[in-house]
Amino acid sequence: MSDGGTGGGAPLRVMVVDDHPMWRDAVARDLAAAGFEVAATAGDGAQAVRLVGAARPDVVVLDLQLPDYSGVEVIGKLAAAGSGARVLVLSASGEQQDVLDAVKAGATGYLVKSASSEELIAAVRRVGAGDAVFTPGLAGLVLGEYRRLAAAPARREDEDAPRLTERETEVLRLVAKGLTYKQIAQRLVLSHRTVQNHVQNTLNKLQLHNRVELVRYALEQGLDDD
Amino acid sequence: MAAEAAPADGRRRQDSGFAEPLWRGIAAYRFASLVYAAIVVVVNLDAYARAWAGAAVVGVMTMWTVLAVVGYARPSRRSWPLLLADLLVTTTALASTVVVYTPAQVYSMAPITTLWVAGPVLSGAVIFGRRAAIACSLVLGLCDTLNRGRVDADVLHGVAILLLAGFALGYVSALASEAERRIAHAARLEAATRERERLARRIHDSVLQVLSLVQRRGSELGGEAAELGRLAGEQEAALRGLVGLDADAVSPSGAADLRAALTAHASASVTLSMPATPVELPARTVQEIDAAVAAALDNVARHCPPHCRAWVLLEDEPDAVTVTVRDDGPGIPDGRLAQAEADGRLGLAQSIRGRVRDLGGSVTVHTEPGSGTEIEFRVPRAA
Repeated sequence: MSDGGTGGGAPLRVMVVDDHPMWRDAVARDLAAAGFEVAATAGDGAQAVRLVGAARPDVVVLDLQLPDYSGVEVIGKLAAAGSGARVLVLSASGEQQDVLDAVKAGATGYLVKSASSEELIAAVRRVGAGDAVFTPGLAGLVLGEYRRLAAAPARREDEDAPRLTERETEVLRLVAKGLTYKQIAQRLVLSHRTVQNHVQNTLNKLQLHNRVELVRYALEQGLDDD
Repeated sequence: MAAEAAPADGRRRQDSGFAEPLWRGIAAYRFASLVYAAIVVVVNLDAYARAWAGAAVVGVMTMWTVLAVVGYARPSRRSWPLLLADLLVTTTALASTVVVYTPAQVYSMAPITTLWVAGPVLSGAVIFGRRAAIACSLVLGLCDTLNRGRVDADVLHGVAILLLAGFALGYVSALASEAERRIAHAARLEAATRERERLARRIHDSVLQVLSLVQRRGSELGGEAAELGRLAGEQEAALRGLVGLDADAVSPSGAADLRAALTAHASASVTLSMPATPVELPARTVQEIDAAVAAALDNVARHCPPHCRAWVLLEDEPDAVTVTVRDDGPGIPDGRLAQAEADGRLGLAQSIRGRVRDLGGSVTVHTEPGSGTEIEFRVPRAA
């Protein structure tokens, strides 16, 4: 519980962004107690963007419901501010589309606010180590998104829409049904690492597709303007 | 709603912004028909029995046209008193034809008022609908009949034209109020949705956050606090379902969102996984699937030890919808499921298999002692 870092080295630097002071403080306290370095806390998106340069967090714990920016906007602005921090989304609401959008925009983890502090600490640690943190709910959303992309009427742009391999679908379904990676590894006779990689891949493909789509959209808009 | 929406003809229609163009049209008609009547009078002035009376009638018609247009311009005055006055003045002007004309002219020429008599018919049609227009037309027709002392082709012709105009305008006016009613309904719905979203944001910002915090802290403290935390968690899930998706929303085509129905099952011990986009199915199918999920979760609650958790996964495929209910309980021992099913006693058999089979779907149960139970039902989308 006292090792906030990735083992031995400097502790992970974390920034907590949440507009609810009680929550922000509780989360910051838990993280500090677990050995992480809470580099900054912010009550809204603008403050987070202002602070991120000086705070240089490795992980941003982000509430999706901020008074000023949407989750997608905050993630975009943090990246634009030069932060390479990984983003763990913490959300109290069941606002599915928001969560999916944030993950497509680059967040690598999602946790509901009712998660215990042990779960939160484990999630921050894993996100900090570069792993994707999925809840069953997020797996359901990602699965749904791939199905939506596959079922969308075949447009020219969709020819390169990402597809899940059979194994990835299988893994994602099991995550969505609440199995732990360990249980999935046992059931599919895979290593824990392989399960983690499959989950990671589903997210990477979706984020890559999202970036390609954004660039294409920007290009098309630009061309249309001429 | 429907009764209030469609006022019977004869009752006053609500003042409607949509009727304003009609009123402007009627005002224009009154002036144009006045000018026409005045020209006819001026042209025939020398031939009349009493030219001065003809000039006086045109004077009265002019004054009344101005008064009527000004009077009807204000919505609050569009009612019986003004309409009756309008009808009285118009009928009097029409009746004065026998004073102005020679007896031969009464039979051979159009009345001195010509088309101007249509004013109260048109106004009545817009205020009260077709019945008022018919009544005004008949009063004017009766007056014309008395003028001539008989019902002839000209009288019938005049009444027919008035009736037609009254009917057409009454119909258009009814359409306008219906359109306005629908737009008002849509605006109310939109306002309700906005209010719901505002409430949802508020609740999210305060209540949900605090309930989550209580749940989290409570479970860390243990003992009685843990129980409080568990209760807070349940309330949080229930509240989130309440302000989230609208479970009763049915689209005009009769389709409902299965996600919205399933949201109600979320709790501290039941986790939902579903797509971000609506899973639309016929409302009845949604009800049946929802009932099957409820039966499966009920089964979990009855047969699993306390603190047993459950997950519901909803998958939307082009040709079918798959719902999986998994629990992390001890699993159903071999043979017990079949045994209970054979006895016809187990809720699982009755509620789930029966319902899903009725929808043309299939149920698979995957269970191993020690690794929980997974009930998967697949319901095809109707072609």
